[in-house]
Parts: sequence; structure tokens; C-alpha cells
Amino acid sequence: MQIYLPIAELPVDPFVIILMGGAVGFLSGMFGVGGGFLMTPLLIFYGIPPAVAVGTEASQIVASSVSGVLAHLRRKTVDFQMGGFLVFGGGLGSIAGVAIFRYLREVGQVEVFISLAYVIFLSLIGGLMFVESLRALFRNPQTGKPRRKRRSVAWMAAMPFAMRFRRSQLYISPIPPIILGFFVGVLAAIMGVGGGFIMVPAMLYILNMPTNVVVGTSLFQIIFVTAITTVLHAAANQTVDIVLALLLLTGGVIGAQLGARAGVRLRAEQLRALLALIVLAVSARLVFDLVSTPISPFLLEAAR
Amino acid sequence: MKIFYALALFLVSISSVGASEISIGLTDDVIEVDAGFAGAELTLFGAVTGIENPADTVDIICVIKGPASRFVMRPLEKRGLIWTTGDAVEIKDTPGLYISAATRAVNSIVPLPQQAAFHLRKDFIPISITSPTPAPGEEGGALAHVLPSAFLTEAEELGLYRDNVGRVAFEKGVLFTIKVDLPATTPVGEYDVDVFLYRDGELLGRDDATLAVRKVGIERQIYELAHDQPVAYGVLCVAISLFAGWIAALAFRK
Repeated sequence: MQIYLPIAELPVDPFVIILMGGAVGFLSGMFGVGGGFLMTPLLIFYGIPPAVAVGTEASQIVASSVSGVLAHLRRKTVDFQMGGFLVFGGGLGSIAGVAIFRYLREVGQVEVFISLAYVIFLSLIGGLMFVESLRALFRNPQTGKPRRKRRSVAWMAAMPFAMRFRRSQLYISPIPPIILGFFVGVLAAIMGVGGGFIMVPAMLYILNMPTNVVVGTSLFQIIFVTAITTVLHAAANQTVDIVLALLLLTGGVIGAQLGARAGVRLRAEQLRALLALIVLAVSARLVFDLVSTPISPFLLEAAR
Repeated sequence: MKIFYALALFLVSISSVGASEISIGLTDDVIEVDAGFAGAELTLFGAVTGIENPADTVDIICVIKGPASRFVMRPLEKRGLIWTTGDAVEIKDTPGLYISAATRAVNSIVPLPQQAAFHLRKDFIPISITSPTPAPGEEGGALAHVLPSAFLTEAEELGLYRDNVGRVAFEKGVLFTIKVDLPATTPVGEYDVDVFLYRDGELLGRDDATLAVRKVGIERQIYELAHDQPVAYGVLCVAISLFAGWIAALAFRK
């Protein structure tokens, strides 16, 4: 059976796409990560045009974030004030990212750019995660995890417009969250990721937000920024394929449930080492595709 | 088969008696591409009149040309370690799809000048390439003369330009069928179908027909909405995503 994707303009096997969504959903459920950074490269490997993969992923992340956002809203673990500034920065970042994307598309370099961006990010994150998990695996279990100390935020309080963030128990300027949001917004637009893997550590270690509001607030930002990115990509590049997004989502929600159940049976360090290896393998494949000699010396596309 | 005979009778009746004539008919002059479109086999019917035992003495060549299209081609260049794309060249007003079919190899039916005149092989399709005008002597200038053949090779790779792929066969006496596989990437628009009747390298007759390939169904509506009202489409995508995500959240809520 084949389904014709209206925007990607190619026929695909819907079961393969649902399975891909399911596999990435399984990993994201198991590891508690978004999965956009794995889904986009997988779609590219399958043959979806990279620009469509990125635009479509934005809308899929919107859908897959809903349940998490609702859960955190119920538990009241969202700092709306902080989230508002992150969304503001994210919106600006998304506008900048889509503009960069559009320019690269016009000069025909967007494919290479997306691949390179993924190689850099996946190698960095996969490498760091792998080293970290190895260290954790071989650490003496008696010593346990060192407790996180909340560092000083004086340098952020000294910046202009400093204000109190009651939910996060912080007195800082909104400029650092806006900059962080902006950076993540750019990533969302040019890579088709939610950016949680950047934002969560940055909120913990740079903004010094308390752990209990970090995930909820980052999901709050992600759902808004990916929604903005979806509209901008649809408007500027016509690269959002809703049929593809819905197929991915179908597999994704089922996979995430199964993954979450499988995740509780494995040790966190083992999980992280496994995810790191998967991330590094995807990165290696992208590198291989970039450096290997192409089959034909030209690239032909029907234009409209 | 009923349709086949009815059509054949029709074709024979409209053909003038005496002179060598060829005429073709289409069972459907509109091909609708829907969500499940993974390519289609196109069958054309035709008849030859004024010739005894045409199957033994004449050859038929059929050329199908898709709507005038624009292509963009980029050379791949190695920069440092990685392969990137170079400056684009544009190919304008060339058929979006080209398929030729014949009773046997075109080369053994028709001499080259006529092949060129009627574009009986893809090599003879006129291709005009506009490049960002490189200065003479530069690499781009040297590349210019290989671009038309590179384009034809790439178009063949994509399944868009193909020679001698269809099957032309005489069925019963004067009747013949042309069967051609249309790829999944078949562009939409108006197609020209030309058939040529040859004996000993001499053109005896020709006929033509037009065919429309249209996209129909929900995916066409999605495509049109996405390109005509992109902002509305984007907002709709977000709304659908939110709704689908909400449904999924409900379905798996403990």
C-alpha cells in the first residue's frame, strides 16, 4: 500500500512511516526526550526532502507535546512568567531561523546545511551523553549523585529589567531567558527539533531554575515555539506535510507508551549509554552521506 | 474488451479508406492521480487503415510529452571533506515527462534526421539551459556543453525521460495498442501524444491526441490550500496537531 504525501510530493509506505514514528516514539518514551532530533534524520534517510522533514517535524512536536503540557498544567509545574519570556525569545528566534532557512533554500544549500547542523549537534550531544553515562556506570554506587547546588544568579540580577520570578524563586533579568528562547527558536526552525535537550540543561545550570518547574516550563515553551515555527514554515516555505505529520504521530503516541513502560525496567545509566550510541550512529550515517562520493555528479529537481 | 472493439470500430469508421492512415484513441483522456498513486499503466488504442497485414509491414512510434516544465540542476562539488551543491542552472520549457514507445528500436525504423525532427528519442529534445553566465575559460564555461546530456541522464534516473519503454503491439489486423508505464512522479498538466506510422524509413501517416493528468482527492486539496493560502494552512496544521495530540493524550490517560 502506498500513500501519496501531498507536500513532500512522493508516495510512501504508510506502515513504514508509522513504524518509524513508533520507533522514535518508543525511544522518546523510554528516555524522556522529545525525539525530533532523531525523527528528522530518519525521515531524510527514508527519502523525504530535508526541508519537508524539518517543517513537518515542527508540527509533529506540537502534537506530541500536548499530553506532556496538559500533565504539567494539572500538576502546576509551569512557570508562566518565565515561559512567557522564553516564548517571546523563541518566536523571534523562529522568525530568524525560518528566514535563514528560506534563504538557504533559495540558494540550494539547505540540505547540506541541515545535515551539517545535525552532525555537529548529534556528535556533541551523543559524545557528551556517552562519556557521562560511562562515568556513571563505573562510578562507585556508594558515593551516589552529588547534590546540585544552586549557583549564584547575581550576574543575571545585575542586568537591566531584573524582576522576581516567583514560581522559579529567582530574581533575574528577563534578558537571559529571552536569549535562551531565541537560540532554541532558531534551532526549532532550522532543524525541526523542540530543543528540550538544550533548554532543560540551560534552565538548570544557567538560569538556575528549580528542577520541579524545568520540564513543564520547557514543554510550555516548546509547544508555542513549534506552533509558531509550523505556521512560519507553512507560510514561507510550504514545507509542512500534515499527512506525514499525522502518520508519524500515530506511530509516535503508541511507541511512546510502550517505551515508557520498557524504560522503567532498565537502569538510567544503561538507558543513557544506549541513547548516546543511537545518536552517534545517526550522526555517523549523516557524516557518511556527506563525505561519500555521490552516485551522479548532478542533482536535478523539478521546479515550479 | 467490449470497449476495445467499440473503439476499434469507431476508429476504423472515421479513418478515410484507401490512403495509409493511422489514428489513436484514448479510453480515458484524463488520468486522475489520487492518494494511492504509485504510477499507472496507460493504454492507448489505435488503428491503421489502407495497409494489408500492417503487423508485418509497418512500424509505429509513439511519443508522449508532458507539460512544459522548469527544472533546476546543480552540480555536486567537493568542498573540503564534504559534498555540496554548486551554482544552479535552469532548464526551461522542456517536457516534464518524455516517453517514447515503438514496435522495435527506433534506430532501425527511422533515419536520424527524422528522429531529430519529430523528437523520436529523448536525445533530440531541444534543451535550453540558462546558467549564471560564467566568464569564458572558467570551469563553468567548460561545464556548459556537458549540461544538456547531464540533464537527460538525470531526468532518465528520475524516471521522467525514457526511450523505447512502452510496448506497441498489433492486436487484431489493423488494431494496435500502446502500453506505457507512467511513474509515480508524473507531473500534472496537459500531455501531447503523437503516433507515427513508418514503412522502410518513410513516414506514412501520423496522428495525435491530448491527455490530461490531474491530481484529485484530499491530497490535491491539501496541496492547493498549502500553496494558495499558506498561512491559513499553517494555522490549520497547528490546530490539527493540537487536536490529534489531545486525542492521543485522552486515549492513553490512566
